[in-house]
Amino acid sequence: MTLAPELSAESVPAPTGPPALAITGFGVLSGAGIGPQALAAAIGGHGAGPADVSGMFEEPLPRQDAHALVDFKVRDHLGRKGTSFFDRSTALGMVACKAALADTDLEVDDDNRARIGITLGTTAGSAKSTSDYSRDTFVQERPYLVNPLLFPNAVMNCAAGQAGIWYGLQGPNATIAGGPLAMLNVLRYSRNLIGCGYASALLAGSIEEFSPQAAWAVHYGQSTEGGSLPPGEGAAVFVVENADAVRAAGRRPDAEVLSVEVGVFDPPGPDGAFSQGLATCLTRALERAGVTADQVATVATAANGMTRLDEAEEAAVTSVLGSDVPRLRVKESTGEAFSASGAFQLAALLARHRTEPARDGEISVITARTAEGAAGAAVVRGWSRAGGDHG
Amino acid sequence: MRRVVITGLGPVSSIGIGASAYEAGLREGVNGVSPIACFDSTGFPYYMAGEVHDFRPEDMVRRLSVDEWGRTSLFAASAARLAVADAGIDEDELAAARAGSSMGTTGGESQVLERLTGDSLTAGLDGLDAGLVRQVSSARLSQAVNRELRLTGDAVTLSTACSASNYALGYAYDLIRTGEADYMIAGGADSVGRWSHAGFYRLGALTEKACSPFDKDRSGIITGEGGAAMFLESLESARARGARIHAEVLGYGLNCDANHMVAPNRDSIAECMRIAHRNAGVKASEVDYICAHGTGTPANDYVEASAVVDVFGENPPPISSTKSMLGHTMGAASGLGAIASVLGIAGSFLPPTINFNTPDPDMPKIDPVPNQARTADVRIAQVNGFAFGGNNAIVILGRPS
Repeated sequence: MTLAPELSAESVPAPTGPPALAITGFGVLSGAGIGPQALAAAIGGHGAGPADVSGMFEEPLPRQDAHALVDFKVRDHLGRKGTSFFDRSTALGMVACKAALADTDLEVDDDNRARIGITLGTTAGSAKSTSDYSRDTFVQERPYLVNPLLFPNAVMNCAAGQAGIWYGLQGPNATIAGGPLAMLNVLRYSRNLIGCGYASALLAGSIEEFSPQAAWAVHYGQSTEGGSLPPGEGAAVFVVENADAVRAAGRRPDAEVLSVEVGVFDPPGPDGAFSQGLATCLTRALERAGVTADQVATVATAANGMTRLDEAEEAAVTSVLGSDVPRLRVKESTGEAFSASGAFQLAALLARHRTEPARDGEISVITARTAEGAAGAAVVRGWSRAGGDHG
Repeated sequence: MRRVVITGLGPVSSIGIGASAYEAGLREGVNGVSPIACFDSTGFPYYMAGEVHDFRPEDMVRRLSVDEWGRTSLFAASAARLAVADAGIDEDELAAARAGSSMGTTGGESQVLERLTGDSLTAGLDGLDAGLVRQVSSARLSQAVNRELRLTGDAVTLSTACSASNYALGYAYDLIRTGEADYMIAGGADSVGRWSHAGFYRLGALTEKACSPFDKDRSGIITGEGGAAMFLESLESARARGARIHAEVLGYGLNCDANHMVAPNRDSIAECMRIAHRNAGVKASEVDYICAHGTGTPANDYVEASAVVDVFGENPPPISSTKSMLGHTMGAASGLGAIASVLGIAGSFLPPTINFNTPDPDMPKIDPVPNQARTADVRIAQVNGFAFGGNNAIVILGRPS
């Protein structure tokens, strides 16, 4: 691994455009385990690998391993009361929100709860909840004999809505279906809400649950594109605020999201148009962050073994940043977790900062891409909490 | 900050496809509700929905292959096509610009997931069509719009349930206002399906034949579907290219009840209206028309009317529900409501609440524009959108000055 360039706060020009987002705390649950340390260990090569999931569901699975939280039970984290109807997706998101709130120095009280909101990413909500609902209309004695108490679970904004109730957050409450682009969409959306003054802080993150439906979706996607990555699951939620306001208050962020750029292009293919598109996003992200390619210490990529997409992404990254910048292939440790994957990329970088103070002030890039042609890149700067220079 | 205007409208609805047909439907108070055709409703006690029977995506989209995209994505892309045509902007010029899309939804492509669920019962999970599995992601709604129109900017799918189009419209407005984008397509899309029909029935929120918002005997929603798209650009841009300006987006408000997943909250909804007015720089007394969330459930309409009176006083502006005609088009609902309001601003009329028979003595006195569209000068309109999860979103539209 190459040494990161030494950076002081002065060496990074002021970003252009909307204000940078400060991350003042985060919570993560991934197949690597619960909390940043487990994730940092896994990306450092000390993870336990995918778990045996053969006992999790009655339905047949395409493979018996996944980066899943096999023993996860919501009641262990939030208690029994009021949690029995949460589906897995909602439960994972709620617990990640709780961890994020516990990790930040932002205090939620009656004076600010109307100004604190939630933005959570997804692919299609809890596909299991929606599919089970449809299934009941086919197999029950009468097609309408579905459980009304579970109806909200079948709708995509369930996790964000429940988290709003649970944590008493009355600010803007949004859900964004972005699939692999979800976390970058969420960051852009959150930056706008904060930059335009709709909210002063947000719980911004993304969720994906493991289920038979998700396992088969990963299987079909991977096998069509020559990959063999197991599925993953989990959630990561970040407390984001206006970076200028955080610093003005004398607080120290864990990270700053300096820029996020996204776009849609013709899907990855031999013409290279998609790579050019992703390269454009990446170049724009560096420009708007006010950093140069040689300042980038790490690229957390979306590589997942799907050859056509991996090659297109790698071509773009190489064209802008060169081939020497270390790649962090987070999905090797967390599996294919669709909308949670981008959140894991960000969480992995932050988790590593927390455990490695030598990386204080390093600049990293996150890239994302989809088979549909959506692409994006974010530029992030992070610090440890162990007395590092928080800028 | 730039001023933001709407210069193109693309409704795909059960009462009309395209701005002219949709406006005619609104003016005539057409009922778009009919017996369900897209799934076998045998065994369901209620069998009506607001389906768009005339939707022929293959005649509307040009770049997308209709076999590769779900019905909801095709609603979104088709509506976007209509909005761009209505805006009269050159397609190549648009593709070369900083342009994107922001679309709302409740169920996304859940009807694709429903089909796969049905298939799995016979073919097994290992016997599914991989191409169909790929279509399940709701992210594809906005991506379909971008791909159809070669837009290389943001593609965002806001899945905040039944207020999602208002979220999407608000976000698109901000992206243009702040200079982040030059053109945006904003709206929403949803499709009728078994699971939501069953869910609303079991929730006791479905009515049998006709949706009658604000009526004393209202008894629930009718599920509906469709697509809504609006073309947004800056005022300078619209003037520079000589575009016809339908309306201006003045601002919007968002908040969350943080109280109950399905029951609406009067105080929180009233507060959302105040936030929207403040952000838009308008006074309540300046609002000429409210396009209601108006689902037709006893709870929603009572709470909504009460919140309106809390904010507007005893003589609130006329408030009508397009859901009486369309059914509840879910993630498209506030988008189709916004388009109706834009048409009302541009054409000086108020869309009616059809199926209205008896005022509700237990509800604050409101004017639901019963049964007949009405000629009226609409300078400022308010579009209400509320949703599961207490996701409130209200957009304020104005006549361009």
